[in-house]
Amino acid sequence: MASNILSIGKSALAAAQVGISTTGHNIANASTPGYSRQVVVQAAAQSQNFGYGYVGQGTEIAGVNRVYNDILAAQAVRSQATSAGINAYQTQMSTINDMLSNPAAGLNPAMSDFFGSMQDLSANPSDTATRQSMLSYTQSLANRFQSTNNRLNEIRDGVNAQLTSSIGLVNVYAKQIASLNDTIEKAVSANGNTPNDLLDQRDQLVLELSKQIKTTVVPQGQGSYNIYIGNGMPLVVGKDTFSLVPAASPTDPSRVEVAYQTSGKTTVLGANSLPGGAIGGLLQFRAESLDTIQNQIGQLATVLAETFNAQHSQGLDKNGNPGGPLFSIPNPTVNANSNNSGPTTIPSNATPAVVSSKVEDARALTASDYRLEYDGTNYKITRLSDLSAFPPFSSLPQTVDGVSFKIDSGSMLAGDNFLIKPTQNAAALFKVAITNPDKLAVGGPALTSSEGAGNTGTGTITALVAGSGYAASPLSAPFTMTYNTLPSAGLSFTPSQTVVVTSGAISTTYAPGDLVPYTNGATITIANSSFTLSGTLSDGDNFTVAPNTSGAPGDNRNGLLLAGLQSEKTLNGGKNSYSDAFGQLVNGVGNKTRELNVLSTSEAQVLEQITAAVQSESGVNLDEEATNLIRYQQAYQAAGKMMQIASQLFDVLLQLGN
Amino acid sequence: MRISTNTIYQSGISKISQLQSEQVKLQQQISTGRRIASPSDDPVGSARALEVSHAQSINAKFADTRQTAQLKLNTIESSLTSLTSMMISTQSSLVSAGNATLSDQERQFIATELSGTLEAMIGLANTKDAAGNYLYAGFKTDTKPFVANASGASYAGDSNSQLLQVDTQRQMAINVTGDNVFQAGGNDIFATISNLVTLLNTPLTAANQAAFSAGISTGIGSMQTGLDNVLNVRAAVGSKLNELDTLDTAGADRDLQYSKSLSELQDLDYASALSDLSKNQTIMEAAQKSFVATTSLSLFDFI
Repeated sequence: MASNILSIGKSALAAAQVGISTTGHNIANASTPGYSRQVVVQAAAQSQNFGYGYVGQGTEIAGVNRVYNDILAAQAVRSQATSAGINAYQTQMSTINDMLSNPAAGLNPAMSDFFGSMQDLSANPSDTATRQSMLSYTQSLANRFQSTNNRLNEIRDGVNAQLTSSIGLVNVYAKQIASLNDTIEKAVSANGNTPNDLLDQRDQLVLELSKQIKTTVVPQGQGSYNIYIGNGMPLVVGKDTFSLVPAASPTDPSRVEVAYQTSGKTTVLGANSLPGGAIGGLLQFRAESLDTIQNQIGQLATVLAETFNAQHSQGLDKNGNPGGPLFSIPNPTVNANSNNSGPTTIPSNATPAVVSSKVEDARALTASDYRLEYDGTNYKITRLSDLSAFPPFSSLPQTVDGVSFKIDSGSMLAGDNFLIKPTQNAAALFKVAITNPDKLAVGGPALTSSEGAGNTGTGTITALVAGSGYAASPLSAPFTMTYNTLPSAGLSFTPSQTVVVTSGAISTTYAPGDLVPYTNGATITIANSSFTLSGTLSDGDNFTVAPNTSGAPGDNRNGLLLAGLQSEKTLNGGKNSYSDAFGQLVNGVGNKTRELNVLSTSEAQVLEQITAAVQSESGVNLDEEATNLIRYQQAYQAAGKMMQIASQLFDVLLQLGN
Repeated sequence: MRISTNTIYQSGISKISQLQSEQVKLQQQISTGRRIASPSDDPVGSARALEVSHAQSINAKFADTRQTAQLKLNTIESSLTSLTSMMISTQSSLVSAGNATLSDQERQFIATELSGTLEAMIGLANTKDAAGNYLYAGFKTDTKPFVANASGASYAGDSNSQLLQVDTQRQMAINVTGDNVFQAGGNDIFATISNLVTLLNTPLTAANQAAFSAGISTGIGSMQTGLDNVLNVRAAVGSKLNELDTLDTAGADRDLQYSKSLSELQDLDYASALSDLSKNQTIMEAAQKSFVATTSLSLFDFI
């Protein structure tokens, strides 16, 4: 009987010891990230039937469990991914927001100074110092565009670098989780007990993983986790992993995209299939905000350059020569998809298409990118900002939203596509094309027209415009158009030259010397100039278009028109002036940043609440552990006492024999 | 609810750091005096502030342009004033020259005086502005507009008006071309004076008496027409100067309004910011004290 008491005491002592070491383990790991408190599950030992009843045999440890709620944990993983995604987006957006926060450093002051100096020049067209100062302000406007764009490019490079490092982290976490899966599975199958601390480590890794990418956990088999990322792509299956790799975008080699690798095949994942996590946030930032903002600035640069150049060409410089372009601006960027047909593809294409694009009408330009694709019969052009597709074209070139699309050489096969970015690089390459202040064309106009003194009809010449190439080859002498009804009605040109008549959307070319039929209101293009002839013509009426050769230093007519562009609604089909457009951009950035700030705060609160709930269940409370410590200490002391009593009882028996 | 020790620390820290970031923000607003530190603080307000400051800078530029216009018109006005007095003195000389009792020699004195006046007037017609541009040459500001010749002077300028954008909707001609001042409507002042000099230098005889009288009276008439024209031009210049003053006043008003709107949009309400700051401080102190009080309690202290 006494031995039984002793063994009951021993079991109590052992249980108290386990209790104390588990409490100690909890105290030691109170601040370990991801640690779940452990509790000793104690049960009464199987009692023994002695005929008169069951006598207890002491206690035994049924197990050491971690306090863990998988529903709360899954919520924490989800919330972590959302919160990390918004944080990544918000951090990037804030840099743009800060960049625009200094009112003196934005584009607006540079534009104001530029147009201000243009007005000064209109007031003092002959003053060399004013001309020089105008050119300096022009240069500083170009610098401002470039530096704004450089800053955005730095942010873009930063996104590329962060995506690469996030992808690296995802792969590292995946490998660690897979190896823990393996260890845990082995441990569980060996003795049926769960290695609590390894489980905690793995859950913590899942939480870290969800900071980088949206993660879903599906428990599998004997304690193993299968991990799915994004919209359900497996990342970890048991002890096997798949990996993500940074890949160049097929349509833009400078852009790092996230690609998913399976058995030698690499698939680029779009922003839409990777919501949440730092990766999702970065992709969303780049697609929604960075591209748009950079395009809007590029649009502003392009429209300013093109409209200013067009007006500048109408004037005469200080030496009486027609004005050339003041700004140079790059043509739209055209990127062929790297998967397009070529000599080595199947089907092969010996002459892959080379596509070019040009801004034809800056005022109609949007801030969007475009996709040009060929389905074997038709060319489809899609505006990517709102994914609106234009009616299919059976041939190229075509002009859409003021941008022309043209195949320079070769041909496209079905499925070939191109990404066209009319504005993204415009601000980076926005440059001043002239260095000599005398070349500023403040005087003007470069071309004049007059009606014959004896004209009897009502015909007039309007909208006389010097084209962009006029400065390079100006009219050397006036030309005259005479309308005759006999032998057949039409206009003849002296000296004779090639004439293009555009009426509606149809252009007809007439060779030099051909009689050109008169269409009321049609646009007539000759060499590098164009005009509209309208009204009713009578036999013998004549009109003369002449180069203006009376350049004079005090002439400021074109200067006034150039300065007037400042308040003209030149952007987005005549809706916004330059400064309106910039104001809209700032407003857009401000709104988005504010929205993200609010979202990020509220998501952080949600995460904090879920974390508090998880902690409430699984976290260590030191006061509680102190209580447990006292309890197990007392249990230990009591067990000891019991063993002492058992020993004394045994002594009583031994003394009986004395 | 069971609270883990981690949560006690975590929530204490997150509350305090949130209060700290509010504190920094208030401090930043107070030190800059601006309510909007970046567009996200008030997207609508900051876009509006951009518009207003843009409008203000355009308005200021128009004020600059008006100064240029005023300077040019004032230079024209002062040269026309001199011209007017010269023409009036010429007229009085002519009236006395018409007096038949004068001797040939006395008429020659007047002729000499008139040819002096002619040179002075041509000099005046070739006045340059502060920037060294000829005032009366139209666009040909580097060309001397009047060149003296045997019959007065010929005009070498053009008849273009130099316009300036002096306000959003107003372009104003800020020059007067020489042909409009000195040779308006075919009445050439220089030719008239030149003819009179020849006439007065011719000795008077009974045969040319009638022609002489007719010549003098034509001269007086022509000078009067010329003077009327100059006075008209002066009136036009004067009314432009007047208009510029009015535009200046309106521009200054607008500037004031823009400044006021900008201030309303951007500037900080110090009273409320300072009161927020001290409120925040109180909360912060309370949070810190309660954090220390909560965390200093531990059962371990009693074992």
